[in-house]
Amino acid sequence: MLYINNLTKKYGSFTAVRQLSLHIPEGDLFGFVGPNGAGKTTTIRMVCGLLRATSGSVKIGNVRGAVGSREMKRMIGYVPDFFGVYDNLKVREYMDMYGSMYGMYAREITKLADDLLELVNLSDKKEVYVDTLSRGMKQRLCVARALLHNPKLLLLDEPSSGLDPRARVEMKELLKNLHSMGKTILISSHILSELSEMCTSIGIMNHGQLITAGCMEEILYQLSGGKRFHIQISSGMETAVRMLQEHAGVELESVMENEVIITNSGTEEEISALIGELIQNKVILRGFYKEEGNLESLFMQLTGGGEPS
Amino acid sequence: MRLQSNPIVKKDLQVTARSMRFSWGLFAYEAVVALAFLLGLHSIQASVDSYYGDGNVYQDLMNLFPVLAISQVCIVTLIVPVMTASSISGEKERQTFDIMMTTCMSPLSIVFGKVSSAVLRVLFYVMGSLPVMALSFVVGGLSWSVLFYFVLAVIVLSVFAGSVGILCSSLCKRSISAVILSFVMYFVLNLLTFSPLLVRRIWYWNEENMGECLLPLLFNPNVFLEEFFMQVMTGESILGSTGESNFIREDVGYFTYCFTYGKVWVFLSAGCILLLAFLFMLIAAWKIDPLNASAERIPIKRIQK
Repeated sequence: MLYINNLTKKYGSFTAVRQLSLHIPEGDLFGFVGPNGAGKTTTIRMVCGLLRATSGSVKIGNVRGAVGSREMKRMIGYVPDFFGVYDNLKVREYMDMYGSMYGMYAREITKLADDLLELVNLSDKKEVYVDTLSRGMKQRLCVARALLHNPKLLLLDEPSSGLDPRARVEMKELLKNLHSMGKTILISSHILSELSEMCTSIGIMNHGQLITAGCMEEILYQLSGGKRFHIQISSGMETAVRMLQEHAGVELESVMENEVIITNSGTEEEISALIGELIQNKVILRGFYKEEGNLESLFMQLTGGGEPS
Repeated sequence: MRLQSNPIVKKDLQVTARSMRFSWGLFAYEAVVALAFLLGLHSIQASVDSYYGDGNVYQDLMNLFPVLAISQVCIVTLIVPVMTASSISGEKERQTFDIMMTTCMSPLSIVFGKVSSAVLRVLFYVMGSLPVMALSFVVGGLSWSVLFYFVLAVIVLSVFAGSVGILCSSLCKRSISAVILSFVMYFVLNLLTFSPLLVRRIWYWNEENMGECLLPLLFNPNVFLEEFFMQVMTGESILGSTGESNFIREDVGYFTYCFTYGKVWVFLSAGCILLLAFLFMLIAAWKIDPLNASAERIPIKRIQK
């Protein structure tokens, strides 16, 4: 769906985004993570046509138009991190206005606006002035507005920033719904736990460069967890420690009273064989599990402890 | 570029119509026009009653029309730049500009919509003052078509003032700076159109021939306004009144001689002013286009890092 090729943005001698290449498949919910100033917002703005790229290209689907062209704009729904609303304008009129801005007909707008307001739980607020809505409601209205012209790609720049916990949960549920409807979504957020719950793939940026990108599970497995195993032992600890130390491809990380933690550089089959050997050598196991990686630790590992944003 | 269904025009009019500021603005506008009418009436009465007065009040009452019209144009040229100068910068301040730029509207449509909505709002004011204007018609002597031409002149001048405002709005980040800049620019533009004439008068002070130095005045909205009222009220021109043309051939260049013939100047000047306004709108559209290199602002904080 979204193909970014060698995208670079320079401000004088400062490079905000450097040679960024990324592919987001159709129907994917892609989480964009990185510390402050990593270049996430700059990248999103370049894709939206709100910022001119110094070099590189952006392609969405099979659209041939350049960034900022009418064809490209029709493909994108954009929700910025901060946005304002107009005074003295009702929710319905707000939707009407943006529908007209996308060249939609009044009847079409009315029907779609009703459906979308229903989707974002604002159908009872149609006749309410937008400036009187809460921040969470405004954010959901902005998502409805971004979906009005039925874009193929939804770009959300920190949509949960400044929202209270309830509004965050509502936003997360809304995004999950949209994902289940088949929308391709790119979301940047600093709430990593939320991203890890809903995203199918992630990209981590730091200092304007994309450090890693891909399927969430794969990345977590390759970079953080997936290789660490906890073995809980009831009896035969000495034998177990000796065997683990002697076993090639296994590094003993820590030994506790009833538990050892190992790092396996081999395959999962090798670990299964090792467990079998321990049992054959009269080591009684109480438990055995693979440590799951999490986005927070992965983020800290890749960005050198930088503050997520 | 859709005028009738421009969503910005629709939204601006909707929002304006609901605000109390518009109602108070309309009230203030009508009050000023009514005050101008009363002052004009008092002045006419005083001149008729004076020692030099001929006692014929009817001829003088016709002069109420230019008094009211000019006072309205003065207000309009003050209001419109304020409206448009705060339009683009206001969207930026309100943080609605980015979302607007991601829609299918072109920058020119946005600029055109902003100027159109300002002109339409001003026309509400002008239309609202028509009953007061009509009082200057009660004694006769003026055609109703004059009123129509007056509205056209207001449209031309407000489009021009609006385009100056929107250009400044596209150049400035804050509304207040844009408003100040638009008044400065309006003044400088007026001054610039006179500069060739002044330079020629200073350097070639002993020459009677003015050459084509009057032509830049075609772009001067104030000269257009004065010429318009002179033509409407007296059928003469402020640019001279000799023969069929306003100049004898030896006084001016060929083009000036042709353009000051009859009412040509008024129509040509209206065209020139609208053309200049369109040029300003084009520049404004180019400036607000985020994909245009000159529209880019360097994030200072990042550079400092």
